[in-house]
Amino acid sequence: MLLDYLRLEIRRTLRDTGFVVLGIGMPVLMYLLFTNLGASGDDAAGYKLSAMVGMAAYGALGAALGTGGAVAEDRSTGWLRQLRVTPLSPRQVVTGRAMSGSVTVLPAIAAVLAAGALVNGVRMDAWQWTVLVLLLWLGALPFTLLGLGNGYRLSTQVTGIANMICTMGLAIVGGLWFPTELFPGWLRTVSDYTPAHSFADLGWSTTAGTAPGATTLVVLFVWLLLFGAYAARSYRRSARTV
Amino acid sequence: MTKTTPAVDLSAVVRAFPSVRAVDGIDLTIERGETVALLGRNGAGKSTTISLLLGLDEPDEGAVRLFGTTPELAVRKGQVGAMLQDGRPISRVTVRELVTFVGRAYPKPMPVAEALALAGLAEVADRRVDRLSGGQVQRVRFALALAGNPELIVLDEPTAALDVEARRTFWESMRGYARRGNTVLFSTHYLQEADANADRIVVIDRGRIVADGSAQDLKRRAGGTLVSFDLAGRDSGWLDTLPGVTAVEIRGERAGLRSEDSDATVMALAGRGAIRGLRVEGTSLESAFLALTAGEDAIAETTGTTRLTAATDLMESL
Repeated sequence: MLLDYLRLEIRRTLRDTGFVVLGIGMPVLMYLLFTNLGASGDDAAGYKLSAMVGMAAYGALGAALGTGGAVAEDRSTGWLRQLRVTPLSPRQVVTGRAMSGSVTVLPAIAAVLAAGALVNGVRMDAWQWTVLVLLLWLGALPFTLLGLGNGYRLSTQVTGIANMICTMGLAIVGGLWFPTELFPGWLRTVSDYTPAHSFADLGWSTTAGTAPGATTLVVLFVWLLLFGAYAARSYRRSARTV
Repeated sequence: MTKTTPAVDLSAVVRAFPSVRAVDGIDLTIERGETVALLGRNGAGKSTTISLLLGLDEPDEGAVRLFGTTPELAVRKGQVGAMLQDGRPISRVTVRELVTFVGRAYPKPMPVAEALALAGLAEVADRRVDRLSGGQVQRVRFALALAGNPELIVLDEPTAALDVEARRTFWESMRGYARRGNTVLFSTHYLQEADANADRIVVIDRGRIVADGSAQDLKRRAGGTLVSFDLAGRDSGWLDTLPGVTAVEIRGERAGLRSEDSDATVMALAGRGAIRGLRVEGTSLESAFLALTAGEDAIAETTGTTRLTAATDLMESL
């Protein structure tokens, strides 16, 4: 039953032109533009690698938050209410949503990594590719929860705006678009504690061939708890009105 | 659970919102296999009653049981299917995918093709729900209610968005489903629909049940027959003493008598020679409904004048 729901929601997400163009196409396009315009010399290879992780993380971030937009839409169309009069339990519906949200981050990750490997000639060990995909996939969970929190709380339009602000804000401050080395010192410090930076750092440490640092893991875990609590609160609040 | 457990059992159910007691003490038992119409004006409390019945809302007082258990549990066990009001189409999914998914959530669904055929969707099965017409979307909702082959289906204003032809096909499908021995509860504010499609009509007004029975019962309860004649200058004071008369209304030169026993009333009028322009009409379900929902003040009024005036106002508001 849960699997059926998961399949249905994944199918609906992949049919969303906006999701495919903006969610998958955008990060790939930005990655290819950033790395092939201007970057040259010794740094180029390193930049192609670090930007690949950054843009894959950005794509995953956007897709994860996008789950919230879908939830807001399902609330407004009455689909969530209709589900409440089927044998599916509310728990299964939320779990299914969180899982489908997790799955739909994969195309964006895969697309950017493919662009890195095939177009930009990024080379890594096989285990690094595997671990990179796995960590970016799992690490996106806090953002799925943040998206769900927005989607269960806000109207469709407001959710769209909130998700866009969150995606852009977190991506920029987290150093997913431009390396934090270019930031002023204070912003760099702030950036270290943002969820998106910790998320991408999972990937950067993998490409560097090391395990993620303790700070990164702790920061990301704290954000997971915070966003999880936010999602739970929003969900409970909406359960009365859905 | 035995065969005798009713499908629906509401006892002394109350649901109050800050501005209104939407459901104000409702007792309602629906046996398995019955087709029941919940009839009332807009805002009478139909949708709130249905929400409570489906477990989408909790009553402030009283108890709701479906098949002897809580609505939540009955829904989880797949005994209930529902067609809700006010939904917009679900996006990016085909009719067949959606009906298949909902059906599979139930323990003993009907074959998808059958659900699609019953709802009249066979031809649009592979089209996306968000690209269908309003009437077709309404049929998709109906298909979702019956896809799981539940014992009870609850339809909240199922024909609200349909044109005449679509309405006719819809009721045919609904009766087809009811004939299989299923229990159906639907709400409507169309009298004809209730009359034509339900075994039993429950009239709800201001959160209370004001009548419960067959269409015939309702007509009887509303005062049977209307006997009218020209007064031709006569005084009218004696009319309410005639046998069978329950209410009198004078409009200009014409007197209208509501009668439980029109034969006796007519004989008595004839005995007094008051038969100019005499007319005897059976009460329509329409006027029965209006009389029933005219409200407490009007019902308390014995002369019936207020009652009929209130009914006229209502006629306009309907």
